[in-house]
Amino acid sequence: MSKDVLVIGGGIAGMQSSLDLADMGIKVHLVEKLPSIGGKMAQLDKTFPTNDCAI
Amino acid sequence: MLDVGRHPNIDLLAYSEVEKVEGEAGAFKVTVRKKARYVDASKCTGCGACSETCPTIVPDAYEEGLGSRKAIYPLFAQGIPSTRTIDPDYCRQLNGKKCGICAKTCQADAVDFEQKDQILELDVASIIVAAGYDVFDPSRIPEYRFQEIPNVVTAIQFERLLSASGPTGGHVDRPSDLAVEAEIEELEKKATKSAKTLARYEEKHGEDSKTFYGKFLSGEYDDEDHKKWAEKYEDHLTITESLETMKKKAEAFGSAKKLAFIQCVGSRDFRFYPFCSGYCCMHSIKEAIIANEHEPETRSTIFGMDIRAVGKGFEEYKIRGGNKSGITYVRGRVAEITEGPDHNPVVIYEDTRERKVKSEEFEMVVLATACAPSKSVVELSRIVGFELDDYQFVKTSPLSPVDSTVPGVFVCGCAESPMDVPESVAQASSAAERAAEIAFQEDVEKEKAVA
Repeated sequence: MSKDVLVIGGGIAGMQSSLDLADMGIKVHLVEKLPSIGGKMAQLDKTFPTNDCAI
Repeated sequence: MLDVGRHPNIDLLAYSEVEKVEGEAGAFKVTVRKKARYVDASKCTGCGACSETCPTIVPDAYEEGLGSRKAIYPLFAQGIPSTRTIDPDYCRQLNGKKCGICAKTCQADAVDFEQKDQILELDVASIIVAAGYDVFDPSRIPEYRFQEIPNVVTAIQFERLLSASGPTGGHVDRPSDLAVEAEIEELEKKATKSAKTLARYEEKHGEDSKTFYGKFLSGEYDDEDHKKWAEKYEDHLTITESLETMKKKAEAFGSAKKLAFIQCVGSRDFRFYPFCSGYCCMHSIKEAIIANEHEPETRSTIFGMDIRAVGKGFEEYKIRGGNKSGITYVRGRVAEITEGPDHNPVVIYEDTRERKVKSEEFEMVVLATACAPSKSVVELSRIVGFELDDYQFVKTSPLSPVDSTVPGVFVCGCAESPMDVPESVAQASSAAERAAEIAFQEDVEKEKAVA
C-alpha cells in the first residue's frame, strides 16, 4: 500500500502532479487557496505556440 | 480541471490553506484549514440562482478588475468545484446587515451562514509545492503610469479582454470606453428612476412635467410641492442631457486596433527583478496574434530589448506573427508613457536601430509584467521549512531541479522559477515521480526483504 501525497497549489503544475500521482494509484490531497482550481492558466484565453484553449 | 475534480484518488481541498507541517519524509503530519464557504458543498448544485439575486456587486479579481461579480460567486464560470462561495468581506448578512436573499433563492437549501472553518489533519509521505507566482505590480514603475492612464493594461488584463468568456465577450474594448459605458448604464438607471418620480407628480397634479415647468417658470406656482416637482424635473433634464452626450460619444467606440506591447516590465530591471521571466515575449506575441485574429485590421508593435523565442516552434511563431498578424518588432526600451488625446497612450522610446528617440500614439498599451515570486511561497517556506533563493523562489540545485532543501518536499512550476505552461507540466510530472518514490518506499523495501 502506498502512502498519501500532499500537493499545495491547484494551478497547471499542481493539477498535473496530482493527476500523475493519482494515476499511479496514490491518494492525493490537493490544497488550493482560492474557491476553484485552475490558477493563472485558467485566466488565459489561449496558450502558445499552438493557440490551444487554456481551460 | 474536470479530470482533477472527478478522479477517485484526488481529494480536492479548494478554498483551503496549509497551516502547519511536522515530521519528516515518509511521515509528514499536515494541518489544513478548510475555510468556510457559507455554502454546503454536498447540497450546492452550482446552478447560480443565488448569484443572480445577490444585491451586492464586487469588483472581480479573476477578471483583473475589468468586470464585477456578486458577494456569492463562482471564481469563474466553469470552475471546479462549482460550489458557490460567499465572500465574507462583502456579504451583507455576514456583516450584520439584513439580507439573506441568496438563502431564500436557493432551492437546494445549501446556504449556511453558520458554517465554520474546518481543521483537517493529514498524514502524507511527501509534499509537492506548486504555489505559483505573483504578477508584478506595474504601478511600481511610475513612468509607465499604470492605473493613471486607463488604456495602459497588464498582459493578464488584456488576456481577459481577448477571452470569449471575459467581461467584453472577446472584444478588445478600451478600458476608458468601458468606463463611459458603465457610466451610461448608471445614468440610465437614474433616468428611469427620475422619470418614475415625475410620473407620480404628473398623476397627482394632472398635467405633464414640461407644461408644468413652463408655468412654474412664469411664476404660476410657488408652493413647496410644486417647487419640489420643478427641482426633480431639472434633475431629470440634467441626467438625460448628459446621457445623450455620452451616448453620442459611445457611438464612435470600437475595439482597439493599434496596440503597443512593452516587454520586460519589472524583469531584467535592476530596480526590481534582474532575471528574465522567460514566457513574456511569447505571451505578447500570442496576444498580438489573437487580437489580429479577432480583428484583422489590428496592428501591433512589440517594444523589447530582444525577443526571446526559445522553445519548440517558438521562433517560427514569432516570424509568423510578423508576416501574417501585423506585428512590428522594435528594438528599444520604452522610457515613458504619457496620455495623448482621447485617452490614447503615447509611447516614448529609443529606436536603437536608428539611434533616435521617438514617440508614437497607440489606442492601447499592454505591459508584459514580470513573474514575481509568490507571497504564498514565502509563507509556505516558513511553515514547511524549505529554503528560498535570492529572489524568493524555492531553492533547488541544477542536478536535482525539483528537490527543495527539505527531504520529501518537492517543487514544480513558477514556485521554482519563472517558466511557461509546457515547462510547468514537464516539471510537474517530474515532481510527481519524485514524490511517488517516497510514497511507495515501504512497498519497495518489503519487496527487497522478500527477495
